[in-house]
Amino acid sequence: MIQKKVCMVGVFGTGKTSLVQQFVHSLFSVKYHSTVGVKIDRKAVEVDGTAVTLVLWDLAGRDASQDIPLSYMRGAHALLFVADGTRRETFDQLDDLQQLARSAAGEVPSMVALNKADLTDQWILGQGDEAALAARGHLLKTSAKTGAGVEAAFAWLAREALRAGGSGA
Amino acid sequence: MSEGPRTVAIDSFGLTDIGKVRELNEDQFVVATLRKSVRLRHTSLPDAGLVSRLAGAESHLFVVADGVGGRPGGELASTSAVSSLLEYLDHAVVAYHELDTDQEQNLLASLEESVQRAHDKILADYGSATKGPATTLTMVTLSWPRAYLVHVGDSRAYYLRKGRLRQLTRDQTTGEYMVDLGAWTEEQAARAKVGANLTSAVGGQEMTPIVGLIDLEPGDVLLLCTDGLTKHVGDPQIAAVLGGSGDAEAMGRELVRQALELGGSDNVTVIVVKLGG
Repeated sequence: MIQKKVCMVGVFGTGKTSLVQQFVHSLFSVKYHSTVGVKIDRKAVEVDGTAVTLVLWDLAGRDASQDIPLSYMRGAHALLFVADGTRRETFDQLDDLQQLARSAAGEVPSMVALNKADLTDQWILGQGDEAALAARGHLLKTSAKTGAGVEAAFAWLAREALRAGGSGA
Repeated sequence: MSEGPRTVAIDSFGLTDIGKVRELNEDQFVVATLRKSVRLRHTSLPDAGLVSRLAGAESHLFVVADGVGGRPGGELASTSAVSSLLEYLDHAVVAYHELDTDQEQNLLASLEESVQRAHDKILADYGSATKGPATTLTMVTLSWPRAYLVHVGDSRAYYLRKGRLRQLTRDQTTGEYMVDLGAWTEEQAARAKVGANLTSAVGGQEMTPIVGLIDLEPGDVLLLCTDGLTKHVGDPQIAAVLGGSGDAEAMGRELVRQALELGGSDNVTVIVVKLGG
């Protein structure tokens, strides 16, 4: 079985855990729990007839007291950066987080999920921000609450990880 | 995996007590060291130190299990689960200091598989998932600096770093589940009779192992415990004990002493691991 390690990276509270929970268990928790260390889930998907197990590393988010250890991202086959459309700082730190992740994982497929798409009336990001993000790489709006965009995000990562790494793990 | 020291001194201690109310101790624990077996007899290697480093590589295994009350044979379940784990992990886990991505994925899968096997063995040996024996299980495999965690039920793992206590596990109970869904408030969960019921147990109707990891640092203190501790001793008290100056044994004994002094309503089991700093 081909396995691909996918790291979820972002500032705390952007919904990384909720995206994984929605993708793997089709559940949404209304209570916020900050992740400690790394929580690991698996989900088998199929990419153009090839079975792939995504091993999802849900990394504790960056906050004022802790950065994301590089050691967690080493060996990742793909990266999912998560920002929260209602919080400017989660968007502003994306550049820095992407550089940090690249220093650990190298040039692997990555995308940005602009999460909390169910709260667009509270978003503070303008169309210019979204256009700037989209110009730099793959971007999807997601909602861990409704499930919008979630399957599509992980399907894209699985396909690109497989394409980048061939059939090997 | 880390730019920190390659090894640290590890001081660990486990202790269980029947408590003041129960007639039987249904908890079990294990503190074990797993070593690579490399004996250098003759070599042409210029770097003989390589072999000695391999021989010195070791991992540490820490497990607590709490037989589920209200079902017959809780002690059978915790004993069977922990024994099954040890048998499987003896074959599956080799002490590594540096794992590549594939090896690490395989290790994680093996750890999860070990719990699944323990679950299957209980069902095979004792039958019914609804009425037969069941147990919680919290297991940490430490291959410095990385601690791999597999967790089922409401026993807990914590770590203390620079005075701050963090809970690594989340209780798999009806109360937690209902609060997560937004159906209950924390207060309703605390009051509800079924709030403490397990939604996941080894040998139970549902068994959903949670897998995680964390890179530890010199000076950290790890704690695994059954709910006989946390029913009585709160996080601030736990942090105060783990932040003290004693060794792992002194800390473990003090935590159990406090649980007994504050009621001892359940079996209480702790494992304390001090990582030299």
